[in-house]
Amino acid sequence: MFLGISAYFHDSSVALIDTNGVLIDFKKEEYFSRVKGDKSFPRLAITEMIKSHKLSEKNIEKVCFYEKPLKAWLTILKYSIKNNSLSNELTRNYFKNIWKSSIIFSYDLSKYLKISNHKILYCDHHLSHTLSAAYYNSKLPAVSVVIDGFGDESTSSIHHLDSLQEIKNVWSSSFPNSLGLFYSAITDFLGFSVNEGEYKVMGLAAYGEPIFYEQLSKTIFFKEGKLILDDTYYDFMRSITRSYSDKLKSIFNIKERESNASLDLDSSDFKSYADIAASAQKIVEEILKKIFLFANEITGESRFIFSGGVAMNSVAINKLAKLDFISEIIIPPSPGDSGAAIGAAYYSFLQSNPSYLKKSAKINIYEMLTPGHVNSEDHNEEFFMINYERVAEKNELIEVASKLLSQNEIIATCYGNIETGPRALGHRSMICNAHSMVAVKQLNEQIKKRSKFRPVAPAILERNANKFFNLSEKIYDTYFTMGAVAEVMNVKSIEAVVHNDNTARVQLCKEDHILGKILKELESKNIFVLANTSFNISSDPMVYSKEDAYLAIERMNIKYLLTENGIYKKK
Amino acid sequence: MILAPENNKNLYKTLVEFGYAEYGSALEMLAAAKKAESPRLKIGYINHALDEYRHSALIFKVLDNEIKKDNGYFKKEFKFTPQNVVLKGYVDKSGFLIEKLTLKKFVEFIYSNEFLAKKSFEDLIKRIKNSESLKILNEIAQDEEEHAQGALEQHDNFSTNKLNEIMTEEDRHWGFAKIFYNKKFPNANLDLAFKREKIKNKMRLFYFKNLIFLNRIFDPIINFFILIFGNIAMLLKPTSSDDKDLMKINSRSIL
Repeated sequence: MFLGISAYFHDSSVALIDTNGVLIDFKKEEYFSRVKGDKSFPRLAITEMIKSHKLSEKNIEKVCFYEKPLKAWLTILKYSIKNNSLSNELTRNYFKNIWKSSIIFSYDLSKYLKISNHKILYCDHHLSHTLSAAYYNSKLPAVSVVIDGFGDESTSSIHHLDSLQEIKNVWSSSFPNSLGLFYSAITDFLGFSVNEGEYKVMGLAAYGEPIFYEQLSKTIFFKEGKLILDDTYYDFMRSITRSYSDKLKSIFNIKERESNASLDLDSSDFKSYADIAASAQKIVEEILKKIFLFANEITGESRFIFSGGVAMNSVAINKLAKLDFISEIIIPPSPGDSGAAIGAAYYSFLQSNPSYLKKSAKINIYEMLTPGHVNSEDHNEEFFMINYERVAEKNELIEVASKLLSQNEIIATCYGNIETGPRALGHRSMICNAHSMVAVKQLNEQIKKRSKFRPVAPAILERNANKFFNLSEKIYDTYFTMGAVAEVMNVKSIEAVVHNDNTARVQLCKEDHILGKILKELESKNIFVLANTSFNISSDPMVYSKEDAYLAIERMNIKYLLTENGIYKKK
Repeated sequence: MILAPENNKNLYKTLVEFGYAEYGSALEMLAAAKKAESPRLKIGYINHALDEYRHSALIFKVLDNEIKKDNGYFKKEFKFTPQNVVLKGYVDKSGFLIEKLTLKKFVEFIYSNEFLAKKSFEDLIKRIKNSESLKILNEIAQDEEEHAQGALEQHDNFSTNKLNEIMTEEDRHWGFAKIFYNKKFPNANLDLAFKREKIKNKMRLFYFKNLIFLNRIFDPIINFFILIFGNIAMLLKPTSSDDKDLMKINSRSIL
């Protein structure tokens, strides 16, 4: 068995790959701690995995951490000492928090898993990202583009993959020249939480005009093979509390948004902030286009693998897919740091199996998305029966769920294992009839309490998709694994799930998937699209256990809960 | 669990600390629910968690309202960030209480700290003069009155303030903990356990109140270490991965 671990910076996670190179489990620490984005050492996730897979020194061949801890720590520290000072808050913070950094990884690991030091490996941060995507890809050669905030020594990288045993780092950009940190600085200015609110900026961008693009493009740009950020506009390289400078503020001529201020279509400053978001989004799209073109020029490859936090920008991905020199873009279900645990586990597997050749046979996509065995007996639902009644048994799940949805009811799901990535694809979702404006509005605004500028996403059977959406063949798998942007052709019938720019974040379903089965049943009722959003309250991680599900339906006042054992309704 | 300083003069910061403390309690109760085998006990812990989650949201709502009324600025540090629950120590990153304590100690802890939380909350309520904030508390109290009253009928000895939902629920949690404890451990000395928790909380408060003083002592030492090790760090040269086959670089090196 090969264990991959990601921790200390973003949402911590653990991945387990077996001796055949198959991902058999993936757990995020936040599933258990219930702290959204929990970045602490994933002790609960590891403990759970040790228990469920009976892991020990005997059957673990390697444990791999997703980055080189000292390299990552030294890179920022040396930059700060050189460019700031020894007394600068960032420098001091790095020193004072050394015991909370990844440097203590092996010590933390030893508290939960007794394992010889020679079994512990460290993978280059961006290589972990590349391998997390390569795991889901069977065709090589390819070029991998990794773009995130910061990792080990680089903020962006281009890797050329001739084979899984030969991955050459052909280009990288150093700190602080970071597209990810640029977008985070804008996220911060717009009053959203850094590392969490970036997707809100992307949603907001659809409502604005990129009127600050020219000015912003002087603060960060890609020229002659170099990504350059003007550090006079940003503070993330010298401050631990603010990521933009007064000079950047002067461009926008508006105060940074207070994080508690309401931001909705009718807010007075909505348009101004939307313009800033649109400008930042255009910067990201334009720079990505240039980096991808550069990657194509230096490697000659047209098949792209894309990972790192910026790869979650589905709007930009849709624009990239329109470029002629790109034949395909493969994006892993979890492109960010938590998914990098999969890459780390895969790295240790490949190190132990130097002649391994990935089989090209297609793997069942849903097994890949929800690794880990779920035994329904392990998830005792007896306690539901105190306050809830079962309105559908296991064998009538689909029929009753379809009937309820056709009556414009909203159903929460806690079905089987949780999906690997940040998008809920049906196993931890809240769903309703996407053709009903009333149902979607209730789900989005009253239950989920999302801003109106962020509509929920549509889910549709693969065979019906072309009737509603203009899908891109180049990112086709992403519609199944993470959801991707597509132009909507039939806006009127599903208006409630369409963005301002007539696009939607589409999820395709196979007929053997839980949502696929429900959609198939709904066809006879002329319902072809479901609205799907993650089953959680905004400050909480996605629901994981049955107890979490019970708590969430109580907090959100949801009437129906679907599990693998039936449908429950409050008495 | 760390209680907010009772005599902290900064209302905003105190509210923030209370909000996180309530959220931390919610997580502890949810963790306890997952360990409970009896369905009724599981539901009991979940209901307790539900109350604590609501209290946390309510307190942040009051904070927002207080700042708006004062025409103040909502600083970034006031924004609820889930990870602060761990960073501020309201949940111990080494384990939930239910994992670390015996059932007897766990119940003693809940009983004592719910009581101490109730006392601290009484002090906090006295400091909220703003009628709008009190109105929010009372409105929610009225919404939930039936639910709280129902519970209080069984535990009315602990009711002190029926107009305030949070107060009644803190009473209820404390009442439940006491009843459960007496039933489960009839021969135990609850007063002793309570005094022990009270002393522990006082010690925590003493530590936090003197944190600034402690920082003044330790800062020069930290500065000295930065001076020495900062210069050593500058001499270290991590291997660059530029133009390298990443699958061939040393996998055992942390540098």
